[in-house]
Amino acid sequence: MSHFSDRVDKALADDNLSEALKKATSQLVSRRSTAFSSLEDAENLRDIARNTKMKILHNLEDNLLKFEKSLQKNGSHVHWAKDAEEANNVVIEIAQKQAVKKIVKSKSMLSEEIHLNTALIKAGMQVVETDLGEYIVQLAGDKPSHIIAPIIHMTREDVGNLMHDRLSVPFSDEPEVLTRIARRKLRQEFLDADMGITGANFGVVETGSICLVTNEGNARMVTTLPKIHVVLIGIEKLVATFEDLNRFLKLLARSATGQKLSVYTSIIQGPGKGTETGPEEVHVVLVDNGRSGMLGGDLAESLACIRCGACLNVCPIYKNIGGHAYGDTYAGPIGSIITPGLRGLAQWHELPAASTLCGACKEVCPIRIDIPKMLLKLRQVTPPKVKASISLRMAIKCFAVIAGIPKVYKGFTAFGSRLLRFLGSKSWLTNNIPLLDRWTKVRDFKTPAKKSFQRMWQEKIAKDGK
Amino acid sequence: MENKLSKSKEVILTRVRESQVLARLPEIMPESTDGLKSHHQPESDLLNSLQKEFDLLGVETYVEKNQKAVCKRLRNLLQDKSVLSWNLDNLPYDAGTVLQSRNVYFERDDKIIQASADIGLTGCDAAIAETGSLVLLSGEGKPRTASLLPFEHIALIRQSDIYFTMSDFFDKKGKEVSQASCIDIITGPSRTADIELSLTLGVHGPGKVIVVIGP
Amino acid sequence: MMDQSLPDKAATVQLFHTCLINEFYPEVGMAVVHILERLGIRVEVPLDQTCCGQPAYNSGFLEETKKVAVKNLEVLSSTEGAIIIPSGSCGDMIIHQYRILFAENPDLLKKVDKVSRRCYEFSQFLVDVLGITDLGARLKARGAYHPSCHLLRGLKIKDQPKILLENIAELEMVEFEDPEECCGFGGMFSIKNPEISGRMMDNKISNLQASKVDMVISCDMGCLMHLEGGLHRKGSQIRVRHLAQVLDSGVD
Repeated sequence: MSHFSDRVDKALADDNLSEALKKATSQLVSRRSTAFSSLEDAENLRDIARNTKMKILHNLEDNLLKFEKSLQKNGSHVHWAKDAEEANNVVIEIAQKQAVKKIVKSKSMLSEEIHLNTALIKAGMQVVETDLGEYIVQLAGDKPSHIIAPIIHMTREDVGNLMHDRLSVPFSDEPEVLTRIARRKLRQEFLDADMGITGANFGVVETGSICLVTNEGNARMVTTLPKIHVVLIGIEKLVATFEDLNRFLKLLARSATGQKLSVYTSIIQGPGKGTETGPEEVHVVLVDNGRSGMLGGDLAESLACIRCGACLNVCPIYKNIGGHAYGDTYAGPIGSIITPGLRGLAQWHELPAASTLCGACKEVCPIRIDIPKMLLKLRQVTPPKVKASISLRMAIKCFAVIAGIPKVYKGFTAFGSRLLRFLGSKSWLTNNIPLLDRWTKVRDFKTPAKKSFQRMWQEKIAKDGK
Repeated sequence: MENKLSKSKEVILTRVRESQVLARLPEIMPESTDGLKSHHQPESDLLNSLQKEFDLLGVETYVEKNQKAVCKRLRNLLQDKSVLSWNLDNLPYDAGTVLQSRNVYFERDDKIIQASADIGLTGCDAAIAETGSLVLLSGEGKPRTASLLPFEHIALIRQSDIYFTMSDFFDKKGKEVSQASCIDIITGPSRTADIELSLTLGVHGPGKVIVVIGP
Repeated sequence: MMDQSLPDKAATVQLFHTCLINEFYPEVGMAVVHILERLGIRVEVPLDQTCCGQPAYNSGFLEETKKVAVKNLEVLSSTEGAIIIPSGSCGDMIIHQYRILFAENPDLLKKVDKVSRRCYEFSQFLVDVLGITDLGARLKARGAYHPSCHLLRGLKIKDQPKILLENIAELEMVEFEDPEECCGFGGMFSIKNPEISGRMMDNKISNLQASKVDMVISCDMGCLMHLEGGLHRKGSQIRVRHLAQVLDSGVD
């Protein structure tokens, strides 16, 4: 896999991407803030939502068992999968039992996390993503770059060219025309499909309900037309009651797109009854895949994430490097916690390090997840050898010793100052200097002052005759 | 398969049990639900609020004084287009009479035929004034497809089914809600902004939503 | 001029001058001293103070941070009166992060509590403790205020610097795009991820340039040192100033 810094370089060199990211994130940020300003008692609502999630996580075992019972009462089949492989196999087995050939999917981050599409295709099935952005991503053989806006990295010309190439339709760069083409193509897929797969925005413990939110209506198609509906849900995505659900829906829509409510909220409670249209079978797969591990420690709070994407839009890092640079399913500040949390820190330690800890994410998170605190935690548990070069490690070790002895500290800093002034021989260093080359790569280095503050202060005291 | 699955369940629950003790979760904070209680609007405001939200969402709204006017409006809206409808006895205002001698499809028809209809016609179990949402509880004779497949969706709303918040509706009709196999909450026409954030209506669901509010 | 109404804790204050001010920007420290002394406050500088430990802390070196923090606490504990910190991020470190650092050590936690309750960021001390919003300064310039992240979101100090700046005669404060967005410094981040840091800095600088300002004013020399380095590299005429420097301008 590519290296983080290579992905960053690639993103920073892409002018189109920079432009698109800037436009998209600033629009989403302003919509969010307008939507929240019209919400009475928003702060209290956030507190309650936060508490609700914490209570669920405190008693996750009980809640999962209750949820399973409620699901079964509604006539849904419940499956448990401890990791990606098991989850994929469960879905494949369900499909094979009913001789499923074609599958339509509504956007699911979890399915991307476990690479479900690859597994299904390998098992000989045809899989079609139906969220417009995800459909385009799939046509392009690419990956989504934003939770809410998967093709934030593409221009309308890109989309037009892609559809022209892959779908043999005349080129257009009109979003309206392109959307109509997708509607027509995907309509046929919905009607042909034997199975629909969705994620879940929320699972309601008390009622065994699966809540799905979209603006396009693809989740409704996927859960209405095929005769089998499979839900993939992370074990952390529970809320207790309908009342809770109602509150989370308010927060989710406002945080994600600045709407009061997304266009379609579907609450699924088992298969269709009697002659009504709707799937004959509903299967719910409860997926762990590393979540239970995250629960047992400092990252537990991040399991309260409702995937609204608000933290991405305000993050100055995300805004500049985009989603692909993060290298995995979950991007942005929360992704920098979830990815190392689920996949292991050893391979992903650069993500928590790539933050200024500016706190913008924490400020907008509807659940007030303390993202900076967890990024710091991850930096602390990153093995020293991995997180810093030997010179930096030595420097910090020396720093700790020296800074602990004021006299030595003063002598050392005075010496350092003189050295730097000598190297610069004037007030600015502009060339690459050992240890400072990563600073001077993008900016000049101001050499220390001739006289330190403490010296000035002491001279002043002497002069004042104190 | 059953055996393997129950084993996974055990594994997951054991891990969760062990982890939730070690979880470093923030303390539960003081909270108050006072400010969140439904705004008990006077009945007369419900309709106004609902209309305002519909306007913002681009939902075409007609308010009619009596059953006759509702049916007349519906006739005008349908013109000679084909219709996918809820079963006639599930429609309010005897609106079924308007459908006589028309091209009408129902849930018993093949889904490909259903999908060919120009207009979807439904009643609605609740309209939520706070958000401009239609709540449709699925059930026999109330196909989910009618509000989903055609490019235009016409919903007939009885004034007595307007609630201010979703909670108000859930409180009042808890039993019906819990028994439905699918609750669809529809807030405006189908939309996307995936391509350069430019708003486009009618991606998969209806691009046009029309409501006729009767007495 | 303020002697009589001065709160007790403001009679004598300790200045925590921060590493960057001590070594690179001593004039900022002197400006702080001038302002406080003009208000009739006795300023003391604990000469044994060292670094707050933030660079090690934010790089994930917990044990090393603790060593530095313990020493720092010891030095500050042996003094009296309010502790003035002319930096949002060092302030946040001592006021908020020390608590997390020593969460499992009740003795040290008590010490942290005692010290951090005496700590004030410079603008916060002026406005919230002393109740001063006009220091009689005068400076002919077009300025932009950059709220540093740890000041704004860590210490939640938003309006205090702005009020003080508004009352400077002849200083025209101008708006610029995305003022509350991080400048890209982030301590060790600026060295670990120079490319991203540089891009964030470029964004900030272009926004400042678009507003045609003479100077960018902030309460944190970390952000300013980084921005100044970028401005110098680009040959820009925009200067960087700590709030204390502009508040100390044009007073006789």
